[in-house]
Amino acid sequence: MSAVIEAKNLSKWYGNVLGLSDVSLAIESGITGLLGPNGAGKSTFMKLVTGQMKPNIGSVTINGERVWNHFRLFARLGFCPEPDAFYEDISGWEFLTGLLRLQGFGRAEAAERAARALGIVELAADKDRKIRGYSRGMRQRVKFAQAIAHDPDVIILDEPFSGLDPLGKRRLIRLIKDYEGAGKTILVSSHVLPEIEAVTSRIVMIHQGKILAQGDIHMVRDLIESHPHMVSVRSPQARALAAALVDDASVLKMTFGADGRSLVVETPNRDGVFGRLQSVIVAKGLEVEEITSPDDNLQAVFDYLVGK
Amino acid sequence: MATIREKGYYHWDGRLEERRFPWWPITRTGIQLAFKKKWFKFVFALGYAPAIVTLVLIYISERLEDFKSMFGGRDQLIAVNPKFFMNFLTNGGLIFVIVMVLVFAGAGLIADDLKHNSLQVYFARPLRKRDYLLGKMAVIFFFVLLLTLVPAVVLYIFKLIFAGSFRFVADYPWLLLSIAAFSAVLTVFFAFYTLLLSALSKNSRYVMIIVFTVYLFSQILYGIINSIRGLRGPGTALVSIYENLLQVAAFLFGQKPPHAVNPGWSFLILAAVCAASAVVLNKKIRGVEVIR
Repeated sequence: MSAVIEAKNLSKWYGNVLGLSDVSLAIESGITGLLGPNGAGKSTFMKLVTGQMKPNIGSVTINGERVWNHFRLFARLGFCPEPDAFYEDISGWEFLTGLLRLQGFGRAEAAERAARALGIVELAADKDRKIRGYSRGMRQRVKFAQAIAHDPDVIILDEPFSGLDPLGKRRLIRLIKDYEGAGKTILVSSHVLPEIEAVTSRIVMIHQGKILAQGDIHMVRDLIESHPHMVSVRSPQARALAAALVDDASVLKMTFGADGRSLVVETPNRDGVFGRLQSVIVAKGLEVEEITSPDDNLQAVFDYLVGK
Repeated sequence: MATIREKGYYHWDGRLEERRFPWWPITRTGIQLAFKKKWFKFVFALGYAPAIVTLVLIYISERLEDFKSMFGGRDQLIAVNPKFFMNFLTNGGLIFVIVMVLVFAGAGLIADDLKHNSLQVYFARPLRKRDYLLGKMAVIFFFVLLLTLVPAVVLYIFKLIFAGSFRFVADYPWLLLSIAAFSAVLTVFFAFYTLLLSALSKNSRYVMIIVFTVYLFSQILYGIINSIRGLRGPGTALVSIYENLLQVAAFLFGQKPPHAVNPGWSFLILAAVCAASAVVLNKKIRGVEVIR
């Protein structure tokens, strides 16, 4: 399958800050997840793909056509930005029809398409309500609607799940997945692995402006499983707690903080250690201030991949 | 093996034509939003008061016989000539109302887009920066021309109707051109002036105050400088937006400038404001805000 979006040696920096460094990437039709922690360069990449910024070095093409300054190409592109990007005092209907008119559609066509898009995102009943009164989920859906209303071939969704409750997320995931079967090319960014996992198995991992890995999401899952988890406990009786855990076979290493009140446990079996901790705390009546899992996120995998 | 995806959607059968005027939806929205604002209709309507008064004056000038008793039997009370039309277009009240219209209709044109992050959504569409700016400028063009060029031309036509002859056209063949040229200067200057200030802030209320204050302050500054004995001089008029407009108007209508300064300087100052505005707009108007 040939690549729809292609980036070649793409670099972008903001003054002294590096946004993206020598990124070469080929994205095929279907859904691709762009995964990376905050500040990794996901939004920069998306803004370069949508032609909103000019790369300092390299190029981005969509279907073989250079994106930068190719404004006609934008007719085939749908972009859902991360922040809210609408006037609060207009209705969802006005928002969509206005943007469709900008897209180049006539009044009747714009109205028809807006109605269809609002129907798809299940906002038809609320189309005349002012956006000010929309919930977070409705706002995300109306943003998604403006990205699909003109039936683009390529849809770019920048952190579409941010701030959504589980129900809202599930609803949006379903909408995005519906579009996969429609032969579209969809690029979704997130810094939360389960969100991306829910929509696609094909991911691109980005960190500090560089592409770290590209491929199947199971690779990441395997990395997380094989990479030891850290469980941090803050307790005035940290040493007593350590003594109770030391015979646990799943504990690989224990470190104490300088203040003697924190204990960091390294384990491949995080859930097992959580269970053990619970029973030890209850059995010994230990006082615990906080239990966290500092690397229970992608950062640990990224650190692992970059060899930190 | 690569996945074969079913292309289960169908494109719209019609042609997606490239719009001739891609800026028009922006202009239309700007005009609609202005009329939705409280007090705007009143302020805009107020802008026609000078035109109504001028129309009455033209009528009186042509029907002087009927009003002779009122004006002590004078043969010529009002001379309708290029100066008369210049006075109409440079009337302090009219310019003040235009500034107020800009406050209501123009201040939020870019500021609101910046506030609502709308630029990135606009520029992800087949819309160029120049289309966007033209769309915004056209909103100002629309309102300012409706208050200047349109009533001036209507007054000109009424003058011909009341006179019942085309002698006025023959007497002043360049008058219509002068009216159009000065209306254009006024419109272009105010469009750049308003958009410049609108692009400097995300807060449209703040821009509203600035649009009004800068205009007023330039006039006050002129008054202050002119009242200081050592600084007084014809050149001081160049600090005032209004005085510069008067100088340009005098030149375009072939009249003696109100200040003994070459009107070319006023042209230059107004052009410099427009150029500065173009530079700022080019830097500020982009799909994404680049934070360094």
